[in-house]
Amino acid sequence: MTRNTTRALTTAVLLLLSGSVLAQQLPQLKPDEVIRYRKAGYAFMNWNMTKLKAMLDGSVPFNKDQALAAAASINSTVNSGMGALYTPGSDKDSGNEKTRLKSEFFTQPDKVKEVAGAYRIAGTKLAAAAATGDPSQIKPAFDEMGKACKGCHEAFRKD
Amino acid sequence: MTASRIRLWDLPLRLFHWSLVATVLGAISTGLIGGGWMVWHGRQGLAVVGLLAFRLVWGFVGSTHARFAAFFPTPGKIAAYLRGQWQGVGHNPLGALSVFALLGLLSVQVASGLLANDDIAFNGPLYPLIDKALSDAATGWHRLVVNALYLLLALHVAAIAFHARIKRQNLVRPMITGWHEGPAEQESRGGGLPLFVCALIVALAVTYAASGMWIPAPAPLAPAPTMDW
Ligand code: HEC
Ligand code: HEM
Ligand code: HEM
Repeated sequence: MTRNTTRALTTAVLLLLSGSVLAQQLPQLKPDEVIRYRKAGYAFMNWNMTKLKAMLDGSVPFNKDQALAAAASINSTVNSGMGALYTPGSDKDSGNEKTRLKSEFFTQPDKVKEVAGAYRIAGTKLAAAAATGDPSQIKPAFDEMGKACKGCHEAFRKD
Repeated sequence: MTASRIRLWDLPLRLFHWSLVATVLGAISTGLIGGGWMVWHGRQGLAVVGLLAFRLVWGFVGSTHARFAAFFPTPGKIAAYLRGQWQGVGHNPLGALSVFALLGLLSVQVASGLLANDDIAFNGPLYPLIDKALSDAATGWHRLVVNALYLLLALHVAAIAFHARIKRQNLVRPMITGWHEGPAEQESRGGGLPLFVCALIVALAVTYAASGMWIPAPAPLAPAPTMDW
């Protein structure tokens, strides 16, 4: 399982590096689908962060495999090309989907690049730290990941 | 009325004030940084809960000038103060408005924080009592109200600077040493050790309630049929 995760991770990273995830043609989505997938991706990472937190603060026993799975899930979500879910106009509610995306997302590309860059680095470091199986290494990487999430929320998510 | 040195602010009130300064500034910083600091944010917030509870009790059983009734700002008092006819010592009627506003706003801040979540990995200690939607609403309040708090704190410090610079009144020294110039009959009385211990016990009880430590762990959900995928 560990090896599979590592392999999946490596594939994701390679795909990303070759630009094939980001550059490839993606299926057309409706505006409410864009919002739905976006929120689902973030909510999924929230779940995995919560699992890591519980293991790190001792409220549930630390489990190497669980920690690795959570960190790998976060990192692969980070690298899944979610940037494609920020289609212009997706800062407006659509269908049943409410969004909290700020319209500044589309007018401040440099800031987007900055927060997204920090977030990618944090994801990679978290996965690497989890691979060691050592909570004392995972803790600081987990904290950095949390800061990276917050960095983007502060800038681009409405209250 | 001969001016002499009087005891103005009792020791518990002064300890309350400077502990409040430290914990509130701490909570603002850790709240803004986020990440792993949220755990500390929660602890500092809980300390503020305890301080506010203490102050509430002390406002009734503390020494003369610490009592809410002593400085409660009525429109009449405020008007007199603005005409320059206010003669008291302690919080002046306008300052008293700001004291109540600060204490009230801080209460809203901690109440909403206790229910809040950061959508990443930190939940307020009373989060288990409510659902996520209500917690998100509380989080919105928490992030909104803190802006009013910034304004009020800026005003607080500016007012104290104004008194120091323009009116040549040093308000900070009495808040540190407790001593102030004033007529002897205005000397603070009351608020002895037994009352202090009572207020302390109430503060600890409220902090315990806010800490959520009494909330039983939720009954585990029935395990999903397969746990290995
Ligand atoms: C690139 C910016 C960015 C980063 C990085 C980011 N988020 Fe978000 N997040 C958003 C935006 C924007 C929304 C609002 C989405 C919407 O409402 O359409 C959001 C919403 C959320 C939500 C609410 C989803 C819902 O169902 O409404 C959660 C939970 C969340 N993020 C968690 C995280 C976590 C955990 C991380 C880090 C692992 C993270 N986010 C990183 C921008 C970001
Ligand atoms: C986080 C920052 C602060 C908070 C939350 C805060 C809060 C308060 C509160 C609630 C009171 C009323 C005291 C009472 O309960 O009776 C008060 C009074 C006072 N504070 Fe602060 N304070 C802060 C920062 C400061 C700072 C930095 C100074 C010093 C420059 C200061 C100086 C004073 C003084 C001198 C008084 C007494 C005012 C008077 O004489 O009427 N405070 N503060
Ligand atoms: C007087 C005490 C408090 C102050 C001054 C304070 C201040 C702050 C500040 C400045 C933020 C950042 C807001 C932002 O990102 O825009 C924050 C966030 C937060 N606070 Fe507090 N807080 C206090 C008490 C509490 C308490 C008692 C709790 C619960 C234990 C709490 C829970 C939270 C949570 C969960 C967030 C994250 C919100 C988010 O990321 O959207 N706070 N707080």
